[in-house]
Amino acid sequence: MVKRLYDIIFLFKEYVVVSFCLLISILLLALNDSPQIRVLRSYAVVGVGLLQNVVSVIPNYFSLRQEISALRAANLALADEVSRLREGKLENLRLHQMLALKQRGEHRYIAANVVGKNLQLLRNTITLDAGELEGVRVNMPIVSESGLVGKVVSTSGHYAVGQILLNKDLRVSAKVQRSRVDGIIRWNGGTTLQLQEVARTMDVQVGDLVVTSEYSAYYPEGTRIGIVSRAEPIPGSLFQGVEVSPSVDFTHLEEAFVLVHLPDSTRIALEQRSQEPYAASGR
Amino acid sequence: MPRPAADILLSVLVLLLQTTLARFLVIQGIVPDLVLLWVITIAIRRGQIPATIAGFSLGLALDLISGPDGVLGLAALSKTIGGFLAGYFYNENKILQTMGGYQLLLITALVALIHNLLYFFVFLQGSGLGWVTMMGRYGIPAAVYTTAIAVLPMLAYARKVLA
Repeated sequence: MVKRLYDIIFLFKEYVVVSFCLLISILLLALNDSPQIRVLRSYAVVGVGLLQNVVSVIPNYFSLRQEISALRAANLALADEVSRLREGKLENLRLHQMLALKQRGEHRYIAANVVGKNLQLLRNTITLDAGELEGVRVNMPIVSESGLVGKVVSTSGHYAVGQILLNKDLRVSAKVQRSRVDGIIRWNGGTTLQLQEVARTMDVQVGDLVVTSEYSAYYPEGTRIGIVSRAEPIPGSLFQGVEVSPSVDFTHLEEAFVLVHLPDSTRIALEQRSQEPYAASGR
Repeated sequence: MPRPAADILLSVLVLLLQTTLARFLVIQGIVPDLVLLWVITIAIRRGQIPATIAGFSLGLALDLISGPDGVLGLAALSKTIGGFLAGYFYNENKILQTMGGYQLLLITALVALIHNLLYFFVFLQGSGLGWVTMMGRYGIPAAVYTTAIAVLPMLAYARKVLA
């Protein structure tokens, strides 16, 4: 083995000698700190940098796999964080709007989370996590930062069920805010509400805001209900068909307030009494 | 005297000549490279390995003598390469013809040119001179001057050949 190595060295002795001499010369140059060598050293640094730049273009399969795994993990963590931040942002926005609503109104509000929701039936309801122990009573209006949601129809200790506007049994006295035209809000299925009992001569335009009327015994006056999306005379009728897009997005409703506003029982009793003679006579 | 010892003695003599008397031969700041010429002579007469070793040793000695004015290792590097390249022209059977003929001048010119290219490339770093200026002002004139001095040994060997 050694002899073989010796033979190889002997065969290329000229190259061995010159390599040795060059190596020592270059070592001496490398250890030098003359201005010329400093310039050369800077060239060498630039050259090596360029070379590394070129070499780095060639992908390393194993390091790429490791990098992809690490990036995936980081992506997952970041996506989770983004989701939580987005949730927090939306919650913050909702709470801000609610706070503004709370400051605007003159009534007391009972905050509640929507813990149950039914939007597929003709008698749609929501369940709130606030009940009698929190002060919620039947017939109290339910509102959100966007407007009227509905009213409470039953209560228990810590829960309450409310009819929402998308319930065919619910009727709300309403008026067009701009022209003060009165009507009754009802829902007959679909995505919009109907403002009924509006004479065809009344001034109702698309884009008008519809709010609760002062005639309502259950809801405070001026609570936002929705925007007129269609107003056309009904052929062969004295009335016009007015469609109202509800202000509240029931699909995304997560929090609501129960308005501590009980109807005036004496007024209701009086109104009922005054209707009885007509009811008895069949009118 | 044995041949290696005579060569070493002559090498020391050439080194002394280069460091002392060469300044009297300066023309327009250009000095003939007597040490390189001696290394080329060794290459033609003795072969590649002795020339490489001689180039390295004499170059290193020049670097050490130059002190802070030189670049340690630069003369050693350039003269090692010069000796190694010149060694390719070694032919045991044609030493006298090569030394006494125009071949010596051609070899000297070629080796001196390559030597100067490398030497001045490093030595003039930071001076702001470009490649062309560097070779035009220093590299080529120095190679021509060294080649011109090579006429002296060529003539000496030519007389031997004729004799």
